[in-house]
Formats: sequence, structure tokens, C-alpha cells
Amino acid sequence: MPKPTPSQTVGPFFARDLLWKDGGIVLFPGRGDRMTLTGCVFDGNGAPIYDALFETWQADPTGRFPSGHDGARPYGYGRVSTDTDGRYAIETVKPGSFTGPGGATYSPQISVAIFARGLLKALHTRVFLAPIDLIKDDPLARAIGDLERLRTLVATPDPDDPKIYRWDVRLRGAGEAVFIEF
Amino acid sequence: MAETRPVDVHPPYLYPDYKSTRLRAPAQPLVRVAPSPLETAGPVFPKRFVGESEADLTTWGTSAPLGENPHPVDDHDAPLDPNFLGKGQVLTDDEGRYRVVTVKPGAYPWQNHPFGWRPAHIHFSLFGNAYAQRLITQMFFPGDPLLAIDPIFQSVPEAGRKLLIADLDLEQGIEGVALGYRWDLVVRGPRATPMGV
Ligand SMILES: [Fe+3]
Repeated sequence: MPKPTPSQTVGPFFARDLLWKDGGIVLFPGRGDRMTLTGCVFDGNGAPIYDALFETWQADPTGRFPSGHDGARPYGYGRVSTDTDGRYAIETVKPGSFTGPGGATYSPQISVAIFARGLLKALHTRVFLAPIDLIKDDPLARAIGDLERLRTLVATPDPDDPKIYRWDVRLRGAGEAVFIEF
Repeated sequence: MAETRPVDVHPPYLYPDYKSTRLRAPAQPLVRVAPSPLETAGPVFPKRFVGESEADLTTWGTSAPLGENPHPVDDHDAPLDPNFLGKGQVLTDDEGRYRVVTVKPGAYPWQNHPFGWRPAHIHFSLFGNAYAQRLITQMFFPGDPLLAIDPIFQSVPEAGRKLLIADLDLEQGIEGVALGYRWDLVVRGPRATPMGV
């Protein structure tokens, strides 16, 4: 079997060439309840990471992964860069729960990949859009086990606007997010 | 039968010689998960240029021979080549082939260490048929003496380094106009058993 091509860092100079027009607006056929996922990405010193490429991928509101595209971008995929405060924002629709191999039920969640200078390969994780008490049977939540670590992957609705989910990501050190491999 | 695990050719997250990894690499081990539909479904890209596409592939890089990124964040003051866009986007054909006509990039200085220069490289961003095939990497040129001292290239385990270097293949070029290089990429199968699970 041929060896896979090794990963290398995206570097700091991706903005002009990789960013999509309206990449922060996730498209699906038809409409759904709009929500925004937003927060900041921080390094091991708690400093904002201002040059990260932040990609998301998710199910639609019914828990399906519609294949296809709008002519320029695939459905369900988001791509933005962080700004000078390390902030990203993805406007999307709330994904439904979905079923995986063996009939396992997955809670509503969005897959996240982070690329940046200093990341020799992507960091993958998933962010949950339901309270921690409701996700304990999710396969990823079970694989993590520890509740304090699981909490790093739970987005919280903004008290003033329940359509805004806030999720900060720390790449290293205190409060470090859980990252996954598959 | 003994379990056969693919050799891991990918670099580690923490590679201290590449200084930016020191504060960005996670300290905790990754959590292994069984692939879910999130990893095995799409995304599906539009087939804009050819009938059957396998991959959507974007390249970007530096202009020749001065090593300037045509990008506003790049403050290296080498002059830009006005004929160079710095970006190409292409879909592979139904045999997985791609072809990019560009200019050969130059080395460029960076701040990682005193007198540091990156070897000439072209960045590649690739989507395959499933999310698990997403790959961002860099292609290098054969015989470049900077490879031996580049922390980003050297971060790759020995077994993987030659996979990042293109082969000179003149007949892939344009007669009298452009040198040809051949560089094959291999991504995971869309439903491959995850490594080590
Ligand atoms: Fe570069």
C-alpha cells in the first residue's frame, strides 16, 4: 500500500488564496434555523491566534449530509480565518443528531479542523451544541470520558441571544481542548 | 495474523526546532474515535472543469526567482513578479491526474532562526472524496540544499520525507518553455480503517 503524503503546515500566507467569498456562511439546500458559532482560538500562553484557518463540516438540520454544492462550495462546509483577536464566526443552521455505524446516535455537533502556522498537521475536533447532560451517550463524549475535558467541546448559547453559540478553543495548556484522530 | 499498521509519515505536532509549534501543539494526546458519517460523507465539490473529479486541489506559493509571496501579510521587500498570480485551482481528472503550469518558486527568508531561509516550495490544499482525506501540505524540489536544514521539512519522519519531493520529469513540461516535475499525492481511502483502531 502506498504511503500517504505527509502533512505540512498551511503557513501564515493562506489568506489570499484559500479563503472563500462568504466562507463563513454555511449553505444547505432550503433553509433552517440560522445560528452562529463564534469564539476565539488561543495558544499555550493564552494569546489569540490571529492566523488560523478554521474549517467546519456538519449535518443538516435533519441529520443528513446532503451531497452537492451551490456551484462554488460544497453544502455543509464552512471556512474562515481568525481575525486579529483570534476570533472566528460561522453562520450556519443547527445540525440535527445523526446515526453512525452500529446504530450509534450522535448528538448535534459540528466538526472543526484548525490549520495554522505552527500546526504541522490539522487539529481536528468537534463542538457540541447541546448541554453536557444531554450528550453523555454520544460516542465522542464516551471516548473522552472525563467530564472536565468534555466541557472544552461544549458551546454555550449566549444569554442574550440563544441563536449565538460561543466556543473558545485553547490549543495547549490550561483548558486545552480535546482534539481527535480518526 | 499480525496487525499491519501503516508507517506514520506525518510530522508530530510539537517539533521545537520549528518554533511556532511550541505554543500551538496540544500537550494532551489525541482521542481516537471510530469514523462517523462526519468523516466518511462528503463534502462534494462542483465539477467545474472536468467530467469526473476525484479531488479539488489548490496550490499557492512564491514567485520566481525572488521568493516573494504575493500576499499582503508578506513584508519581505523583494519585488513582485507582475505576471504571477500565486494561486491555481484545479480538479483532478477521472484518473486522478492534475496539471499546474506555474513559475518555479524561490527560497524566502523567515524569522524562525537567524539567517533562516525556507527551501523553494509550493503549498497544496486538497480535498478528496471524503472529509477524512482533507490534506494541506507542501511540495519541494529535488536537490535543494536548504531541505537538510529546514525545520518544517525535517519535522517529517525520515520515512516520509522523500514523498514531499517532486521528481524532475521533463516530458511533463512544455517543450522549450517550462521544466516538468511530477509529484503524486496519496490520501487515505474514504472508508479506510482508521490507523491503529
Ligand atoms: Fe510558503
